[in-house]
Amino acid sequence: MKYDKIDIKNGIKLHTIQTDKFKTNLISVILTTKLDRENVTRNALIPAVLRRGTASLNTQEEINKKLEEMYGASLDCGLDKTGDNQVLKFYIESVNDEFLPQDGENMLKTSMDNILEMIFNPYIENNCFKKEYVEQEKENLKQIIEGKIDNKARYALDRCIEEMYKDEPYGLYKYGYVQDLSNIDEKNLYEHYSNLINECKIDIFVSGILDDNVEQLINHNENISKLKDREAKYVVPRVKSKKSERENIVQESMEVNQGKLIIGLDIDFDNEDLRYDAMIYNSILGGSANSKLFQNVREKASLAYTASSNYYRFKNNIFINCGIEIDNFDKALKIIKEQIEEMKKGNFTDEEVENAKQGIIAAIKSIDDEQDTEITYYFGQELSEKKLGISEYIERVTKIDKQKVLNIANKVSVDTIYFLKQ
Amino acid sequence: MQIIENLKVKEKLYIEKLENGLTVMIIPKKGIQKKYIIWGTNYGSNDSTFIVPGESDVTEVPKGVAHFLEHKMFEQENGKNSLDVLTSLGVNANAYTTNNHTAYLYECTDNFYEALDEFMNYVQHPYFTDENVEKEKGIIGQEIMMYDDYPDWKVYLNALECMYHNNPVKLDITGTIETISHIDKDILYKCYNTFYNPSNMAMVISGDFEPEKLLEEIKKRLIENKSNGEIKRIFENEPKEIVKAKAEQNMEVSQPLYTIGIKDIPAEEKERVRKHITIEILLNIIIGASSELYKKLYDMGNCYFVPSIEYEFDRNYAFVLISGQSNNPEELFNMLKKQVNEFVNKGISEDDFERTRKMIYGEYIKEYNDVTTISRMFLSDYFKGINSFDYLEEINAINVEYLNQVLKDVFKKENMILSVVKN
Repeated sequence: MKYDKIDIKNGIKLHTIQTDKFKTNLISVILTTKLDRENVTRNALIPAVLRRGTASLNTQEEINKKLEEMYGASLDCGLDKTGDNQVLKFYIESVNDEFLPQDGENMLKTSMDNILEMIFNPYIENNCFKKEYVEQEKENLKQIIEGKIDNKARYALDRCIEEMYKDEPYGLYKYGYVQDLSNIDEKNLYEHYSNLINECKIDIFVSGILDDNVEQLINHNENISKLKDREAKYVVPRVKSKKSERENIVQESMEVNQGKLIIGLDIDFDNEDLRYDAMIYNSILGGSANSKLFQNVREKASLAYTASSNYYRFKNNIFINCGIEIDNFDKALKIIKEQIEEMKKGNFTDEEVENAKQGIIAAIKSIDDEQDTEITYYFGQELSEKKLGISEYIERVTKIDKQKVLNIANKVSVDTIYFLKQ
Repeated sequence: MQIIENLKVKEKLYIEKLENGLTVMIIPKKGIQKKYIIWGTNYGSNDSTFIVPGESDVTEVPKGVAHFLEHKMFEQENGKNSLDVLTSLGVNANAYTTNNHTAYLYECTDNFYEALDEFMNYVQHPYFTDENVEKEKGIIGQEIMMYDDYPDWKVYLNALECMYHNNPVKLDITGTIETISHIDKDILYKCYNTFYNPSNMAMVISGDFEPEKLLEEIKKRLIENKSNGEIKRIFENEPKEIVKAKAEQNMEVSQPLYTIGIKDIPAEEKERVRKHITIEILLNIIIGASSELYKKLYDMGNCYFVPSIEYEFDRNYAFVLISGQSNNPEELFNMLKKQVNEFVNKGISEDDFERTRKMIYGEYIKEYNDVTTISRMFLSDYFKGINSFDYLEEINAINVEYLNQVLKDVFKKENMILSVVKN
């Protein structure tokens, strides 16, 4: 595997990942912009409208037929919230020529041309987006936003984050808000889009069996040529100290059979390097089958099937997640809090620390066994302006000991307890 | 070991049936860090009525035993839980149960053989006590309730209930809180001894391995066990007809969820792969991303996502599923029936066929990107009597006449059902 990064223009970078582990080429174009209340819904709408038609393939049927011809290339878009940024992701995955029955398909170039055209040269009518596409995608987005209640566990987590980050960008829902939709039309959306692609950070990732001319392909692409240099407007994620003064308890009702309990934790440090220690802390608390939460809430007390926690490194929070009998709320909460206290008292062993490290190291080592994981990793590095290779990453984790984990444990406080019940 | 090479995807399968009846399959992947191993038994939630080899009476156990067993396999006599032991080694271990098989697995980068000791030990040494069986009922009870909150799971199960009178594929894999209350350690041992015999099991490994060496390491860790002969599985006769054409359930959802089912009869063994590919091609032509029908539905605002399409089958059942979210599932269902009718009358075009076949071919190639997908695919296909490579070969043997024939035989109005979950 070989990773390279090349500046195409100010604010536009090409990242190449030369690897022969896969049958496919994966190209991912990532637009990063500041997350804010004013633009969140408009931004969310853009990928969906772009997916509808390009300058040469005017309808989604034509796009989809083209993709089918390309041996089922998959072209898709997604939205992420990364730190205080809204991230618009576009990707195309196609089979490498080596595994196709016919010679001379040049799938990489075709894929590249198609995805760049979709993002930077959309179908335009009267100098703006096609009205019908915008209206349909508004309706579609409305249903996605309203659909957040369909997955109750995910909904509970989103609500907990919203409560913890009230009036802050990170508390925004990445798909935006229904009430914003009525003010959006094909003209102002196109205007917004034009500004966005002139101002956002653009990262193009190309992974697969590549020859040397990827840079050339990009430089010769006319959709890239017409892009301007920019001082990209985005937020470099930085860890901030945060300690909650008191626990905020939120209980809400919905038609559920099982109660969904989410607990958001703050960790009080601003030294970026401590994030590796926090990863290990999380792993011992609730990150694996050996963890305190899994062992005590599930295995010993038999209260839950799901009992786990996740560390969000860009925001430096841990979210605990449990599905429990509604009447067992107090019991489960008590056990969970005991585990947090146990960690503070140092009631965990060197062995637990070593085990957690092994698990994390295995995950790091296999980053480059999956094309999208690898891209996500390097994009995270790019965004936070870090340059940490996989072997250095492993080295950092190797050095963690019990003392360091204990240090984290004593910086942890409960911020928000969210319970979704009947 | 026998070596089967596929020149299209450029991979090799090493396969051997050991003396005790266990089948071992290895797909080496040079240069990949991740190693994946999966060990499965051809025993799933459907197998609750059977004759133990050597006995003459029929044994019937409560629904949900296969899944319960999967949960309990990790507990060991020395007081340890194998999931913990494996996790301590830095490997990621898990298990799952389907309608027709149960599988234990782990993936890792290091400590593969240390983990293999524990892995092969625990799968071969069950340890059930009254106490540990009781404790698990609380955990599985929460698992069942978790699924009860998934509208997509409910809409799926209701669709199966519309199609099947007797086949246990229509039942929840976990059983219900009521059925699992009857499970005790004797039942678990009986099922274990019947179905966890090497002759009923298969193991698949993928990663950077030398197959012969790996096979020796596996053999070393097998306990002495004889092939126990054929297990007779008993299924009630299933009529060809559906039970009812519609099901509806209310849950708090933003937009109705639907599953359309088409009840089919399983193909002969030699035709299974070909039929499966053909149905995938047909479904894509009928309601896939580039289809006329999908365009119409989209433009009407009926649905905004390409429905997910599947063909599920085993030796004693086969069905098509089309599912998604829609503002008006009834309308979608009627339009689908109409569209199918049109295709039956005018036939599938050569253009649509060729383009869709290319797409499906590409999708099959993509399956070989990672060791997890490869291993799971080879295992589940094996239990259906299929070598996964066959898909890459058979796809070239299909022609438009065959496609049109399957369209007529399978996509019959009277075999279609609609299941809906809505507010």
